[in-house]
Amino acid sequence: MNPEYKDILLTHSDDIIRKWMDDLEDSKLRDYKSTISDEMIEQVNREFVNLIFSILKDGHSQKSIEQFSERIVNLGWPLGYLTEGMQSFRTICIKSLMEHLDEHDKDGFLQIMEDINHWVDPIKNELVDAYSSNWTSIISLQKVALQELSAPLIPVLDGVTIMPLVGTIDTDRAKLIMENLLDGVIKHRADVVLIDITGVPVVDTMVAHHIIQAAEAVRLIGATCILVGIRPEIAQTIVNLGIDLSKFPTKSSLKRGFEKALEITDRQIVSNGEEKKVIDDIIQSIDKE
Amino acid sequence: MKGALTTVPIIKELDIVGARQSGRNLARDLGFGSVDQARIATAISELARNIYLYAGSGEISFQEVQGASPVGLKIVASDHGPGIENVSKVMEDGYSTSGGLGAGLPGVKRLMDEFDIISDDNGTKIIVVKWLR
Amino acid sequence: MRIPILKLQNYLLVSVQIELDDQTAMQFQEDLLGKIHETGATGVVVDLTSVEIIDSFIAKVLGDVVSMAGLMGAKVVFTGIQPAVSMTLIDLGIHLKNVQTALDLEQGLIKLKQELEEK
Repeated sequence: MNPEYKDILLTHSDDIIRKWMDDLEDSKLRDYKSTISDEMIEQVNREFVNLIFSILKDGHSQKSIEQFSERIVNLGWPLGYLTEGMQSFRTICIKSLMEHLDEHDKDGFLQIMEDINHWVDPIKNELVDAYSSNWTSIISLQKVALQELSAPLIPVLDGVTIMPLVGTIDTDRAKLIMENLLDGVIKHRADVVLIDITGVPVVDTMVAHHIIQAAEAVRLIGATCILVGIRPEIAQTIVNLGIDLSKFPTKSSLKRGFEKALEITDRQIVSNGEEKKVIDDIIQSIDKE
Repeated sequence: MKGALTTVPIIKELDIVGARQSGRNLARDLGFGSVDQARIATAISELARNIYLYAGSGEISFQEVQGASPVGLKIVASDHGPGIENVSKVMEDGYSTSGGLGAGLPGVKRLMDEFDIISDDNGTKIIVVKWLR
Repeated sequence: MRIPILKLQNYLLVSVQIELDDQTAMQFQEDLLGKIHETGATGVVVDLTSVEIIDSFIAKVLGDVVSMAGLMGAKVVFTGIQPAVSMTLIDLGIHLKNVQTALDLEQGLIKLKQELEEK
């Protein structure tokens, strides 16, 4: 940048900052104003402007740009704050230069524009890049977190295990579910696995396909799969789509599925009659009196 | 360590086993999990058997590649056999000229992430890639 | 290389401890059918715990063994198929529909016994 311009901008930095802060007052953030304290906005604005001036003074610093973007992401402020901030900064700088320079001809103006753009645009681009790459890394972290709670396997009885599925099932998740399911069957030595799809909002051909494949794979390693939690609307879609689930048992509720699992593993729930005995005892003791 | 890793010639039947063992070891070294190792080894087994059955001899080469995902294993199966007459036909499930299950090539396509086949009078080249997730 | 086939009362027990190549698999098919014929066994348990790869050819050989043994009056149960192998088979589109499975050798024997008694 023209050193003359740089000097002017630095000398009048206080003036520029004041105008810029005023400008930012009405910026994108106004939608968020109610939830953010004025001090906070003031403080971040000051960091923003310090960042820009430090770049003007000491040259480019990728690290500080990244740090500032990360801060904005962590605060949950919109990208518009950065872009609008840079936009209005550009305008104010140009105005300020026009005020303090004598060249009011067309060429001079173009020169100023070009110089300022040359200075502002790279900063703006890098801020946007850093902001979006921050977001991307947050999203991928969340994806990992989501996968971790994706497909738990709960052993409830010797040989009976339940896998409750919650949320949408895509191909990646289906693979993960299948791996967890099969490893779990081996680990818990399960004869029967109940897959509960109560929490799966939509069962389309693809989801059904994945579930059928999982059930087939479970059969190959030597266990039985029971699909439970089939709501009426899911039963309707399954039949309307012509999906054939007849190859393995399905039940409407986890309770019914569990009964079926007991049947397969040749077991029964037997009440031990405690309650009746207690009542009999009471009746007997009353009789005695 | 990027680029060509190794090449295994397929000449006799036992080379099928050799090829899939090399493939499995490479997959493990690249960080693939046990399930993907099995997928990769099985795909290699199918490709190697096709070479042995239909072309008599050929080779399978392994490459480490980078792209959509940080690391991938690329496997190229090539031979100078008679070529495949009807490529779209062999990609259909259940189609077999040898009395097998007809799961070979379409199965390989499902086991891997990328699948490409070039076949003419000079032979057949099948390129598959599995990406590390 | 040959896979040993053990006889236990009416059953034949097979534990595949080596990687199956085509030749071994074909040999196994032949040996098992011969043994069924020889012993008149009614049930066979084939344990595949140590098998790391089953491709379409091996799957076909194994599936065929089950059908062939069935023709000779012997039921076959496969046990210990590894999760990775199972998933790979599903990806290949091989479902081994005519094959009975169980978690391990013990469960396999129980299953065979149940099925043979039902008859």
